[in-house]
Amino acid sequence: MTTQILTARMEAHPSDSHTIERYLDTGGYATLKKTVASSKREDIVEQVKASNIRGRGGAGFPMGMKWGFLAASDPKYLVVNADESEPGTFKDRQLLERDPHQLIEGIAIASFALGVNRAFVYIRGEYSKPARRLQRAVEEAHEAGYLGENIAGSGFSLDVTVHLGAGAYICGEETALLNSIEGRRGEPRLKPPFPAVEGLYARPTIVNNVESLSNVPWIVANGGEAYAAIGPERSAGTRMFSLSGHVKKPGNYEIVMGMSWRDLIYGIGGGIRDDNELKTWIPGGASSPWLIPEHLDTAITIDGVVEFGTMLGSGAVVVMDETTDVVAAAHSIVRFFAHESCGQCTPCREGTKWLQDILERIMAGNGRPEDVDLLLDVSDNISPGLVWPPAMTTICPLGPSATAPIISITKYFLDEVNAAIEGRQAAVV
Amino acid sequence: MSWLSDLLGPLKGFLVPLRQIRKGPVTRKYPQVKRVKPQRFHGRHTLNRYPNGMEKCIGCELCAGVCPANCIYVRGKDNPPDNPVSPGERWGFVYEINMLRCIFCAMCVEACPTQAITMTHLFEMSVTNRDDAIYTRTELLVDRDGTPNYPPHEDSPLTNLEELRKGDGWMRATSPSGRREYEGIVAWTPSARTGELPAERGQSSGTPQVSEDADG
Amino acid sequence: MRSMPPSKEGRQPLSDTKNAPEMVNITINGIQHEAVAGERVIIAAEKAGEYIPRFCHHPKLDPVGKCRQCLVEVEGPRGKQLLPSCAIYVTDGMVIDTQSDVVKKAQKGVLEYLLINHPLDCPVCDKAGECPLQDQTMTHGPGESRFVEAKRKFKKPIPVSDLVLLDRERCILCDRCVRVADQIAGDPLITFNERGNQTQILTFPNEPFASYFSGNTVQVCPVGALTSTDYRFRARPWDLEITPTVSLRDTVHSNAEINTSRGRVIRVYGATNDHVNDGWLSDKDRFSFGAINSDERVTTPLRKTGTGFEEITWADAIDTVSARLGAMIGTEVGSIGGANNTNEEAYALSKFMRTVIGSPHVDAQLGDGFEPQLAAAVIPRAKIDDIDAATTILVWGPDLKERLPVLYLRVRKAVRNGANLVVVAPTRTGLDAIATHVIRYRAGSGQDVIRKLANADKSMTAILETLAEGPVVTLFGRTSIAEDPRLAESVAAYGRTLDGAKLMPLLQRANVFGALDMGLAPNLLPGRISTTDTDASSHIEETWGPLPDALGRDTAAMLSGAVSGDIRALILVGADPVRDFPDPQAAEKALEEAEFVVAIDAFVTDSSRHADIILPAALWSEVEGTVTNLEGRVQVVGAALPPKGQARSVIGMLNDIATSMGAELTSFDVSVVSKEIATVAPAYQGITRDGIVFTSSGAGIVVPSQEAEIIVEMAPRYASMAPDAVPTEASGSAVIVPAQGTQPLGYIPTDQAVPMVTDRYTLHYAPAMYDDGVITRHAPSIADLVRDPTVGLNPRDASILAVANGSIVVVDGSVELPVRIDEAVPEGSVVLPFNHAATKGLQAVPAVTVEPIRDES
Repeated sequence: MTTQILTARMEAHPSDSHTIERYLDTGGYATLKKTVASSKREDIVEQVKASNIRGRGGAGFPMGMKWGFLAASDPKYLVVNADESEPGTFKDRQLLERDPHQLIEGIAIASFALGVNRAFVYIRGEYSKPARRLQRAVEEAHEAGYLGENIAGSGFSLDVTVHLGAGAYICGEETALLNSIEGRRGEPRLKPPFPAVEGLYARPTIVNNVESLSNVPWIVANGGEAYAAIGPERSAGTRMFSLSGHVKKPGNYEIVMGMSWRDLIYGIGGGIRDDNELKTWIPGGASSPWLIPEHLDTAITIDGVVEFGTMLGSGAVVVMDETTDVVAAAHSIVRFFAHESCGQCTPCREGTKWLQDILERIMAGNGRPEDVDLLLDVSDNISPGLVWPPAMTTICPLGPSATAPIISITKYFLDEVNAAIEGRQAAVV
Repeated sequence: MSWLSDLLGPLKGFLVPLRQIRKGPVTRKYPQVKRVKPQRFHGRHTLNRYPNGMEKCIGCELCAGVCPANCIYVRGKDNPPDNPVSPGERWGFVYEINMLRCIFCAMCVEACPTQAITMTHLFEMSVTNRDDAIYTRTELLVDRDGTPNYPPHEDSPLTNLEELRKGDGWMRATSPSGRREYEGIVAWTPSARTGELPAERGQSSGTPQVSEDADG
Repeated sequence: MRSMPPSKEGRQPLSDTKNAPEMVNITINGIQHEAVAGERVIIAAEKAGEYIPRFCHHPKLDPVGKCRQCLVEVEGPRGKQLLPSCAIYVTDGMVIDTQSDVVKKAQKGVLEYLLINHPLDCPVCDKAGECPLQDQTMTHGPGESRFVEAKRKFKKPIPVSDLVLLDRERCILCDRCVRVADQIAGDPLITFNERGNQTQILTFPNEPFASYFSGNTVQVCPVGALTSTDYRFRARPWDLEITPTVSLRDTVHSNAEINTSRGRVIRVYGATNDHVNDGWLSDKDRFSFGAINSDERVTTPLRKTGTGFEEITWADAIDTVSARLGAMIGTEVGSIGGANNTNEEAYALSKFMRTVIGSPHVDAQLGDGFEPQLAAAVIPRAKIDDIDAATTILVWGPDLKERLPVLYLRVRKAVRNGANLVVVAPTRTGLDAIATHVIRYRAGSGQDVIRKLANADKSMTAILETLAEGPVVTLFGRTSIAEDPRLAESVAAYGRTLDGAKLMPLLQRANVFGALDMGLAPNLLPGRISTTDTDASSHIEETWGPLPDALGRDTAAMLSGAVSGDIRALILVGADPVRDFPDPQAAEKALEEAEFVVAIDAFVTDSSRHADIILPAALWSEVEGTVTNLEGRVQVVGAALPPKGQARSVIGMLNDIATSMGAELTSFDVSVVSKEIATVAPAYQGITRDGIVFTSSGAGIVVPSQEAEIIVEMAPRYASMAPDAVPTEASGSAVIVPAQGTQPLGYIPTDQAVPMVTDRYTLHYAPAMYDDGVITRHAPSIADLVRDPTVGLNPRDASILAVANGSIVVVDGSVELPVRIDEAVPEGSVVLPFNHAATKGLQAVPAVTVEPIRDES
């Protein structure tokens, strides 16, 4: 943890890192001032492209490339996805709560680079404190002249609207989020058209994650190459991991990618609670398939984990020890997705609930021998082939996400699943 | 020798009736004595009820649709919500079969999704008026205890109540409802006519079992 | 002003546009096909013979890709990808696989998903037998369910409106009804509720699905989730006999099919004719068939007695009518009505009056329309398709949503695809919400608006800029029955001056355009020729014999003639002047005074109860023939049933009367009468019922319009129909031009001096969709939908009168009604519903008095 880009300030000043005074005091908004005064837009985009930073929301799409797709027709919008609802993920919350100005500066620089004069921050409804902090920070930035008309005398103007969601996981999907801001049902849209062409209010729109944008001030201040030099190739930069579950020291950690899982779980996380055996862990939020101890010594990189059929996703690492009932764990996740399905397309609406029902039946002792095949086939009809990255019969990836725990438990813990079906006591207590 | 055969010829002829005398008559004293009909006999139809008295017919007209003789006329309408005639939303308030046209093929029985229409062993349906050959709900619907409406009256020698109550073998042989493995699962309906008949031997996957609780 | 999201696919190419769409090559299942660039893949595949199963896809609705049934594999840069074929568009070189194992598995999987929570109550479901879910389960489904869990349960069914019931268990959430209500009808009153597995269609709390187009949602529903109250459990689809026809509830003539079972009409469904109605129907079109089955129908001839009516035989009735009419001089007889009949019936009536009776007094309009020549032969006349092609649409006439609802949908569609819309009306209309500009004027001062427009008044600058964007289609008509009919002509004259102008006359009564074309107007003869056109009328005389010399009277003149004694006998043909004529008292008096009144009617109405003889008439669905709509399109109506009781078609009864009077009229056979029309009536040359049935592939034939400014010479020969004159369908063409037919009459509207009305309360007096019309009153499912009557007043007038919402006022000293204070009523105007039970007897005069009732106590 030598390199800290996002969390250095909050660690040095735990009590007031969210105030504008502290932010200015630690060199904040200098990059913005310099940028709007003397930089060319294209240069900023180039810097971001050169940094090789990949989106931190889950999909890991290169941020610079995404910016490059933005259609050149005004007005355009920047939307910040702060609808952090993935079970196990709580990194954005910390960034919003403890360093909102860092995000605002990132938004302002990005908006300048993209030619956007109106940005929206969509915060999940349950995040009332982060929303209050961010709202306060937006007001402070306005007063200080870092937002609003004619920022730092450059002629560039930007308004930021903080929009509170109503507690739907699906609104973390970028087009559902746009629908939600527009006042429609939070349902993902058909793509194409992609938001960069036709997004919010049918205008070109960039949707970026909180963590991604919080990195922007550093990238612009220190140059894209400097950022790209941190960590392994194609997984540049530091990354926030939300470590939770059966570890001794759960919490948010900013790490440089490339470290091994063992170092993360046993080193930073302090090992398994009660010194139990590690059974499995979710590497990137509830929608990612699980890893098992044989993967402990592999490196954490965005592309590396794909080899094992999973992803780093939103950086939520949920550790499960030997006492975990995997069927119950899978059920818990599937139930979440079934509950959060928007219901517009058939496979997700019907399939996730069916998976939940089957798991519930197994847990109630009414499993049937054919249930494993049924579980896999129902999953296959949502995500044909059950490959990674997932193919889908659905509009958005929520449906395929619900198949991740099914794939994991049938791949790694088939004996336990069969035991549950046959009504035997699970192999472990 | 022709004279001998000429003499014996008539005697041979007399031997035939003499032999038959020993065998007894092949005819019956119908209607005092009736032939035992095969279990899957295609006789007159009935409209059945559930054990709780509700009619099984839902007025879906599938019987009318499938009828090759086009002799069935059904009309459905909404069940009165406070006093439903059949389970669900719809009941057949008109049900007519023109027995002059009917060819007793039992396609209607096969098509019926609720086993509302089945066949009995009744075959005596002579009428003196063509209108009487059109059987309506009044004639077709079974009593609350499952007894079909029998002609011409209860004491008639034409009526064998025992036989009437039993005679749904054809339906039971061809529809899944009597089979054990369907019990309690989708598409399972209690037996025909009324009351719970056990699954037939030879069709079921398990021991026939009389289920006590009535399913409305 | 505009509050409608544009359609996602933009203006669709008209089928008769000359520039052909761009064709590209695509590969479907390894076979090369040509397809229209930008077309949905699912449609292109269907044209190529590959049916892809679908539920949410509907060609008239924006794609949503929700059901996921139509997934196909498309080759892309990242290999084959499963995509919904309803939501992707054809591009050049596209490679599509609709049959691969992955596709088949996905389709089976989706069908299984759709079925797991579907109740499978097909035996009682109205949709069973015509259900896409059933059909596609048979063709593409998995065959067996693996679902043993409990199904989703909802209360069933729940009424979402007076006409529509919703069963959420059957719903597969395809979004079609929501889109029809939102995108097509513009009444977004049903939507999704909840989410995930509990997603369900519902109305908003306290807001029923009160749309004029709610029946369309029932028709587009791919399962039995939405059912109409009056079809529920009445029949099964395999019972139904289907008769193609067009609806005669207004002059648009939406294509429909009549579904009968066991001799009763039990359902009316929309049929697709893209040139007319796109498959949509209004609820009035759809649900008014109840009147056909009504027990109050007149089913035998009736003779008036001292106390009421007695039933008589047809022979008796024919004898009486022919004896009484035969005893009079021809010009003492007049006939009113004929607009609710087919062209053939109207023709027979026209010929009967002019030849057998010898009277020129015929009028199909009841003083509620305008100049017959303007309606029949305005040039240049717009077709309905022209509305799609127009850049700007000017609507100055009756409220389309109330009076010509399917035309309203058409205008709405054009606006959604980017057309400008200017609405001019004295009060709020259904189109205001989507209009680019709305001009509201005080009833009676319309002339002022035209003058300002014509003189480019400063207040009109923005509107004139819009109107300058041609081509402009002007839809004109009388906004209210109290409005001067000459204003409509002035509007037409103004509309004609606009860039690329086309004009569409708006009259509302059933087949009134057909009736006018058949000469049911005092100044018209069959085939759009004027009675003053001696050359043309001499051609008719060749077949008909001599025509009466006297000048014809219109309805008003006939009614006044009946009072003065000039007219001794009146024949009412499906007409109810006591309810529909602007001056009801005058009409009633005339019918009382007339020596002999014959009513050809299906009901005893306020008018026909004055008749000496009532002849029972067959209604729509009981007569066959041709009809002509407001664009001049001739289409076929079908007879699904024999007429009820002893009712007959007008052709039959007039023939019998004629025979009894020693004259010859026409054939009894509709096809033969139709051929006679094609021979006698110049504009209809070559247009026969059989020709339409056999050659126009259901699109109908538009009577060729007179485009030239000057009335050109008539076509050389009308007497015989050349064989090559039989119209043929040009490929994809909407208009079928008979080889020789040309409309002889061309009517150029002129600006008329219409006096301004300056009284205190000028009257806007227009009917709503559900009015107190004979058919509506006798159709049980819509009879109760008539809105409560109110007197619409401007807030300032209300404050001057010191009345509040709901206060009772007396209008014109006779009608007492509650007040509705409405900003949309101009100051000095009063808005009243015409043809409403509550306004019965109120004369349609330009201005009325309004007095509050003071509570004396």
